[in-house]
Amino acid sequence: MSKKYKLKKFLVRRYQILATILLILSAGLVLLPKYKKNEGINPDVFVKNAMNTERYISTDILVDRMINQDPSILLIDTRSEKEYEDFTLPGAINVPLKNLLEDDFNNYINQGAYDVVLFSNDNLYADQAWMLGNRLGYKNLYVLEGGLNQWFKTIVNPAEPEETMPKEAFDLYAFRKAAGMYFGIGIVENELADNKKENTKPAPAKKVIPVQKKKKGAPEGGC
Amino acid sequence: MEKIKKTKRHVYWNPYFGGFLLGLLIIVTFYLSGRGLGASGALKSGVVTIVDTVAPNHAETNGYYSQFLKDNESPMNNWLVFEALGVILGAFLSGALTGRIKWRVQHSPKITSKKRLVFALIGGILFGFGAQIARGCTSGAALSGMAVLATGGFITMLAIFGTGYLAAYFFRKNWI
Amino acid sequence: MGPLIPNGLIPTEWNFIIALIIGFFFGFILEASGFSSSRKLMGVFYGYDFAVLKVFFTAAAVSVIGLYYMDYLNWLDISKLYVHPTYLWAAIIGGVIMGIGFLAGGFCPGTSLTAVAIGKIDGIVYTIGLMLGIFIFSEFFPIIEPFFLKSYLGHITLADSFGISPYWIIFIFTIIAVVAFYFADIIRNRVKKVFY
Repeated sequence: MSKKYKLKKFLVRRYQILATILLILSAGLVLLPKYKKNEGINPDVFVKNAMNTERYISTDILVDRMINQDPSILLIDTRSEKEYEDFTLPGAINVPLKNLLEDDFNNYINQGAYDVVLFSNDNLYADQAWMLGNRLGYKNLYVLEGGLNQWFKTIVNPAEPEETMPKEAFDLYAFRKAAGMYFGIGIVENELADNKKENTKPAPAKKVIPVQKKKKGAPEGGC
Repeated sequence: MEKIKKTKRHVYWNPYFGGFLLGLLIIVTFYLSGRGLGASGALKSGVVTIVDTVAPNHAETNGYYSQFLKDNESPMNNWLVFEALGVILGAFLSGALTGRIKWRVQHSPKITSKKRLVFALIGGILFGFGAQIARGCTSGAALSGMAVLATGGFITMLAIFGTGYLAAYFFRKNWI
Repeated sequence: MGPLIPNGLIPTEWNFIIALIIGFFFGFILEASGFSSSRKLMGVFYGYDFAVLKVFFTAAAVSVIGLYYMDYLNWLDISKLYVHPTYLWAAIIGGVIMGIGFLAGGFCPGTSLTAVAIGKIDGIVYTIGLMLGIFIFSEFFPIIEPFFLKSYLGHITLADSFGISPYWIIFIFTIIAVVAFYFADIIRNRVKKVFY
């Protein structure tokens, strides 16, 4: 056999092998079982996160940050609109739980700039909101421990410590009282009769949060 | 006595190998930036920039240019322009490595250089016009379109090559 | 999880550097495969050199199989990729005009850039012609505009058009490609050899 013929045979054989490999690969795509892909994080990770109590932020810490004008906090009220109108924390934005995943509100939750603190009357809605957000892999989500009920108990009406309690308890009480005053609550118990209106709620300063819309649209393309 | 014949044939890569590498490159491109390749878009940005520099008012009033003109941002600030720049650099390097860089006009022996240049100009005008209508050229619409199974890409590619085969008869003197 | 930049895994500023590098390899591969030579490109229409067909179909097959595998393995989200929009009549008419231009000029924009890089004067003239063509189009745009925007079918893929699973389309496409390669070699052996 001449060398040239052998070379030609070899080349043809090589192409045949390559062509077969390509065909097998594309056939593999057809034949592979298709499973439903889950969107978001792994279920194991999710359960681990759910059991983790680090997401709770206590009212004291929250109040501390708010007094210090911490700009990285974003409060989100997960109750319905009517309850939001009645009373809410200063600077909170209303994202009712059922609208949580809508596009308009998505930008508030799905971002990395602010620490989002979800709250509701107790923990129920806020926790649910947290679950939804965490399932989709959003970061920086926290839940106000005890919700607004806890807020009332600690800031608006802090429990007076008894004589026998340690000094920390007194400090805490003083801190909470001061915090309450910052928000315009219980200015003086004496003036209850006259200025009842002022005590009802701290003026909710509607903070306009400049939320940068993360460019998550369809990718650009062209010719 | 053996005659050592110096062939002047250019040594190119095996086309299957080149196609395989190109396929891998397209996968990487899609993986990194979510879009495919392209070529005519860069030239379009070039034209828009030139018109904008020479006659800004006309550029703004024209329905087509104004789509690409944003304040404070030159239309050259575009993914495709950088890619086109890379294409020129890459081709230059490849040509340099194999000694193919030379000023010349490549044409069939049956026609003159001048005729070839005239046809190149006409072909360019037609292709540029058509590329704007179809929103893509062979690299952008056809190649990257086929990589994601886009219907428009397939239609454009079939139209280009189908018409090419039909028109090949009329242009055969130029090439063979 | 890709695509990386639209998902924010790489900051957007890198986009242009990536474009440059990708373009570099694109140009290198095109030129090394010989696409800077217009006579080699035209071979596919006259039967003496099928490099265009081979490169095109191989690249398309490899890339589409690769992308769909990556989607299957969850490395890539296919729905996030840019799909070329379909304007039915514009695609056909534009393709026809491009076909004529392709035959007349012997280049396409990508390959003309490689020709410019290695000093082919006809490549440079072709590129100037391209820019003139774009300019003429924009001048006549008001007249062409309604036609330009007609019959917009959206960013649809073949799977949506035919209604069958994309994997079958890929499989059929691969078969067509391999058959085309086989016939290309047969035709090439029978056509008169051209030296270019």
